[in-house]
Amino acid sequence: MTAYLISIATFVGFFMILALALNLQWGMTGMVNFGIAGFYGLGAYTSGLLTVKAGWPVELGMVCAIAAGLVFGAAVSFLSVRLRDDFLAIVTLGFGEVVRLIILNEDWLTNGPRGLPIPVRPMADSFDRDGYAIFYLLLVAAVVLAAFVIVERIRRSPYGRVLKAIREDDLVASVLGKNVLAFRIQVFAIGAGFMALAGALFAHYTQNISPDVFTPMVSIFIWMSVIVGGAGNNKGLLIGAGLVMLVLEGTRFMGDFVTFLDAEKLSALRIMLIGVILIVVLRVRPKGLMPEEKFVAR
Amino acid sequence: MSHTLKRRSFVKGAAAVTAAGVFAPRLALGADPISVGSLTPNTGGGGPFGPKITAAHKMIVDLVNENGGILGREVALTQENSETNPETAIRAARKLVDVNKVIGVLGTWSSSVTLGIMPLCQEANVIQMCTSSSADIPAKDAKGLVFNFQALSPVWGAAIASLALRRGFKSYSVMALNNDFTNSMVDTFVERVQAEGAEVKGTPFYYNGGQASYRSEVEQLIEGEPEAVFIPSYVTDFTAVYKEIFRSGYEGQVITVSISTGAKFKEAIGKAANGILHGLPVPPLDSPAYKWYLDKVGLEDNGNVQHPFGTAGSDQMSVLLLAVESAGTDDVSEVKQHIRKVANPEGRRVTNMLDGLAALRAGEAINYSGASSEVDFNKSDGMISSRDFQLWEIKDGKDETIERIQS
Repeated sequence: MTAYLISIATFVGFFMILALALNLQWGMTGMVNFGIAGFYGLGAYTSGLLTVKAGWPVELGMVCAIAAGLVFGAAVSFLSVRLRDDFLAIVTLGFGEVVRLIILNEDWLTNGPRGLPIPVRPMADSFDRDGYAIFYLLLVAAVVLAAFVIVERIRRSPYGRVLKAIREDDLVASVLGKNVLAFRIQVFAIGAGFMALAGALFAHYTQNISPDVFTPMVSIFIWMSVIVGGAGNNKGLLIGAGLVMLVLEGTRFMGDFVTFLDAEKLSALRIMLIGVILIVVLRVRPKGLMPEEKFVAR
Repeated sequence: MSHTLKRRSFVKGAAAVTAAGVFAPRLALGADPISVGSLTPNTGGGGPFGPKITAAHKMIVDLVNENGGILGREVALTQENSETNPETAIRAARKLVDVNKVIGVLGTWSSSVTLGIMPLCQEANVIQMCTSSSADIPAKDAKGLVFNFQALSPVWGAAIASLALRRGFKSYSVMALNNDFTNSMVDTFVERVQAEGAEVKGTPFYYNGGQASYRSEVEQLIEGEPEAVFIPSYVTDFTAVYKEIFRSGYEGQVITVSISTGAKFKEAIGKAANGILHGLPVPPLDSPAYKWYLDKVGLEDNGNVQHPFGTAGSDQMSVLLLAVESAGTDDVSEVKQHIRKVANPEGRRVTNMLDGLAALRAGEAINYSGASSEVDFNKSDGMISSRDFQLWEIKDGKDETIERIQS
């Protein structure tokens, strides 16, 4: 059981990094990103290919994944500069699908639908199976912590206040002399960099990635985390990410208690239950479990 | 003194009795049950097939437990839904391996799921039994833990090509859904038809699933006016592809794999589906093992192929449990050595789980012959060495057998 909990905690870590990144982009700046899976996949394949096919060290692979996220995040944001809200949502959703389709079709590079095995792992020789699981959890936890500190610092800084101003009304921000375009590109790129890093960590953890993994469903789980936790509140979304995973995984154990349902009905019930919980949370706490703190000028 | 049963007390009592029944632990036959995991595609792309595999796994485990278990121990089965999605499947497999401590994960169907959970199973020394067709599966199984009950895609391609050639078509075009299942099927199809002197028009190509329209793909496919087109795919996209072919007025022969042309396809397409040829690895219809399976799942033997994947599920669980009985332990390193011992043709041929158990307990060596195939594994890898293959034609909304290649 402990090994399983460690593994699930590691998956929660990936969700938390993605949720923090989405909060930076959407919760704090108002930039809708439905292409999370695209940046996640981009990071996973960048690090996977560089370490497996080019033989680079894992650490360098991960740094390159972040760089790829930054570059593509900036590019997507720059190309969609005049788009907001639902239009930006469509563009980012499209980006996510483009990434997935490129991975699927560029067989010579990515192995296409057959998936990419990634036997390379950071410090793989230093631990046994159980020890390695703990090491990896700590590694992911350290990245979550770093991401949290960075995003939280941004939120509290004058820079973060500009982001909120852009979120509420970018015209007002630009009238006050803020370079809205630069802020938007920077924030989107930083968020995408975190997402790509989460992808790289995921790739080296599961050791086999395929285009099927990076579907819009991943993006939806992260949106659920942020909405349930509380958009704009970094602590809240950590709870949100944990809760979404708790529901996704916890419902697996229903089978141990609800013996009158067969496996097929049980799996349908699980998926229904996830929907119900989301609806209930939104009905009872429309701003999420921990709503964004109000900013009071002193 | 009279007792009146108040409605409230009755409801409480009834609830308590129901709860006791529902939550009561099952009786253990001995200490430490043998833990086995089932990870089937109950929703998603494999949704039409997963539940049959799930039920087959449970059927065998129930049967074994009713008959004294394995090595005097109960078999504990934990079933999870892979959702035909490797991302979900990895977490489900983690639970099976780390919480339920299973010795094997059985029933994975799509290759991306089988391959996705493989690093975990290899690391944790857990047996995998699947019906996945990707040619990459044996290559990535470094520890000899994977046993595949399905023919690999290259075999499908060659078998369907042989059956098509016998129907006398001289020119073909090929397009395939871009996924791990069809990926290695196209090459062998093309090789086989070219080797027999038939012509392949244009370059075979892959298309992406989930599109609203496949017009440009279909136009490219029929451009050279081939006598027949081969389109291996899944049911969701094949329905849309076939509508486009029908609309285009193409009069040649359409050939595909049977998993694209199930009941839902025929329902959606209606009369226009008539004439499609499709093929699939099938259970040996005359074998006692197949008839035994039909009986156990309550089906009539109608002479047609039923439950092509459920039969494999039944065989997976049977072979694993027989191997445990034969090994005398549920230690995976031992069990994997005994899988070929109980399945490959050296011992007495047995055609169901219970006969196999009885023979093993009588000290005999056995050769399990299954409901999905003879269940003989290659010596070099855990792939099934042969399966029957059948070609059908859709006539009046029903499948009519055209030809069968027996292994």
